[in-house]
Amino acid sequence: MKLRLKTLSASTVLALGLVSGQAMAEELRFTVWTGSEAHLKMLNEIAESFKATHPDVTVRFETIPAADYTQKLTFQLAGGNPPDLGWMMEDAAPTFAAAGVLMDLGPTLREAEGYDFADYSEPALGLWVDGEAVYGVPFSTSPFMIYYNKTLFDEAGLEDPLQLAAAGKWNMDTFQDVAKTIKEKTGKWGFEFKDGQGYESRIMHALMPPIRAYGGDVWANGECGFDKPEAIAAVQQLHEMVFKDKSIVPPGEQGDYFSGSSAMTINQISRASKMPEAGFDWGIAPLPSGPAGESPVIGQAAIVVFERGEQKELAAEFVAHMTNKENVAKMAQFFPPARKSVLESEAFTAANALIPADQMAYVSEAIEKGKVLPSHERSPQILAAMAPRVDALWKADADVKQALAGVCAAIEPLL
Amino acid sequence: MAEALREKSSARSWRAPRLTLRQREAIEAWLFVSPTVVGFLLFFLGPLVAVVYFSLTEWNLLTQEATFVGIQNYVDALSHNPDFWHVLRNSFVFAMGLVPLNMALALTLALALSRPFRGVVFFRTVFFAPVVTSAVAWAIVWRFLLQGEGGAVNQMLALIGIDGPNWLREPDWAMVAVIVTRVIKMVGLNMILYIAALQAIPRDYEAAARLEGASNWQIFRMVIWPLLAPTTLVIFVITMIGSFKVFDHIYLMTGGGPENGTLVLAFYIYEQGFKFFNVGYASALAMIMFVIVLVLTVVQMTLRRRDMQ
Repeated sequence: MKLRLKTLSASTVLALGLVSGQAMAEELRFTVWTGSEAHLKMLNEIAESFKATHPDVTVRFETIPAADYTQKLTFQLAGGNPPDLGWMMEDAAPTFAAAGVLMDLGPTLREAEGYDFADYSEPALGLWVDGEAVYGVPFSTSPFMIYYNKTLFDEAGLEDPLQLAAAGKWNMDTFQDVAKTIKEKTGKWGFEFKDGQGYESRIMHALMPPIRAYGGDVWANGECGFDKPEAIAAVQQLHEMVFKDKSIVPPGEQGDYFSGSSAMTINQISRASKMPEAGFDWGIAPLPSGPAGESPVIGQAAIVVFERGEQKELAAEFVAHMTNKENVAKMAQFFPPARKSVLESEAFTAANALIPADQMAYVSEAIEKGKVLPSHERSPQILAAMAPRVDALWKADADVKQALAGVCAAIEPLL
Repeated sequence: MAEALREKSSARSWRAPRLTLRQREAIEAWLFVSPTVVGFLLFFLGPLVAVVYFSLTEWNLLTQEATFVGIQNYVDALSHNPDFWHVLRNSFVFAMGLVPLNMALALTLALALSRPFRGVVFFRTVFFAPVVTSAVAWAIVWRFLLQGEGGAVNQMLALIGIDGPNWLREPDWAMVAVIVTRVIKMVGLNMILYIAALQAIPRDYEAAARLEGASNWQIFRMVIWPLLAPTTLVIFVITMIGSFKVFDHIYLMTGGGPENGTLVLAFYIYEQGFKFFNVGYASALAMIMFVIVLVLTVVQMTLRRRDMQ
């Protein structure tokens, strides 16, 4: 009997302990699309430092692959199982904000001690702010850069893009010339679209940089820009490079920059983590300028809190912590910041161990001058309507002007 | 006394009724099948009924706003949407290409591999292996093989003087490519079904026909083919249903492109539901697909039954 009593009281204590422990310790679930160990290690360190003010709060980072990210996130929201916070890509932002599923972080951020909200570059916040409301804090404002294979440029006896940029000769014409020479002299491709997906899932990443370099835009203020002379000239040049010069990896062909099959590609600095194992000399350079001068293109991602989450106030506090000056400086090694103080600091140009300071300086410059990729409340529909018309463009005998008019006809009702 | 008796009898009536053996067996049987029944109701019938309801609503997954719109989604699909008819045409082209090719190849392989000979197991394994290969690996390999200039298929064609097309980037050729690669992947399954059916046909029939002086073709046409009819029906129905439901293969090989040339119904439903979050419209499309497959199956079964009689 005595023994039974003892067991009973012990288990009661244990149960009570568990219950109270559960009530005290809180866990925030945070969805991200990176699976990189280096990225996750850094994120976990930031979560750990949150314990200084919130000793009982842990943050669990959950990786969802980028290709399915928005879709899976939507299902978690629809299924009544929203994460507390998450990363969000620029093209999804307007849809989610319009649906009212993002929490307004403005009050929390403005009240947070030492946060200095005004330090955020205003153009960089454009997509995430509506009046006083703040629906997300950009953690990555990452311009698209040219990655080049220095070994191949040397082999072809060419000045590389960084040297050309330093000499003020890096423009769409020299870009076409060097790509063509590379193909002729080395047999490798001159240029590959981002991740080799420029004809399929990354149409925008393929077309935006040259169109902006020529002074055009894909759409603005509800009007399609593909059929404007600037866009036509830009796409015409790409078309020539693909089918006449045969210097850009053509549709249906695989030409991987990271394994040395293409001399240049376009990507963001987070991808530099892939370079040490590439086995060739490499560097990054700005995008070639065009008739409209330099016009960097930026891809953006932000941290958001979900309105339907049960711990949204706490989640908002974590956003304030994660995006304070100190942590933004820490994240800058992978994700270029939107905080002016960090961007202008020397610490930023020295932040990435893989990229030399002179190349990082071009990254800072691009962030200051660049424009974010276009986005729209109906982005998924617009991209789906565009895709078949863009397919028609990527044929050797295509009439570029006519094909682009077709793109506009398809997307205009959706803009 | 009478009072006491009445009390006794009413007390007895409170006791649990004695069950007959039959009733007990029925209860036990229901208990045994209940896990399956519950699963069926929860995961099959429930969703099916739900899809019918969803198809009558306009439901945005993200905002969680649902409004009842009656048959509007069906009207939209059938009358206001040119994409739908294009997609339906693609689905039929895919099925009409895949089903005969798959069945003819499966039967040919089965006829060649149904009798034992040295190495028969090896050949059966070779043709069946793609069925159990991961769809992703299959698609990645074929995307390499079917590249425009550097692809192995075109390099082989070049050896015999044929300038091959850019398979996955030209709408018509892309459809041919997805059909053929799908047939190669799935033909092993039908081959096994046909081999089983062929081995079940008593050898005496063939011997008797041969005694009567029948040629190989006559034996096949008059003896074997009619006896394979039930299997052929099953194979036809499952292959056709499978071809209308094809999704992974399209998703991985072409993503519905180029120029929507391989955009089939199941993929279109996925786009509407999972990319644009129009759950109501996607559900209506799914119901239309369900009806099409149902009608085709019933027609085929009726024709076959008449044929067999």
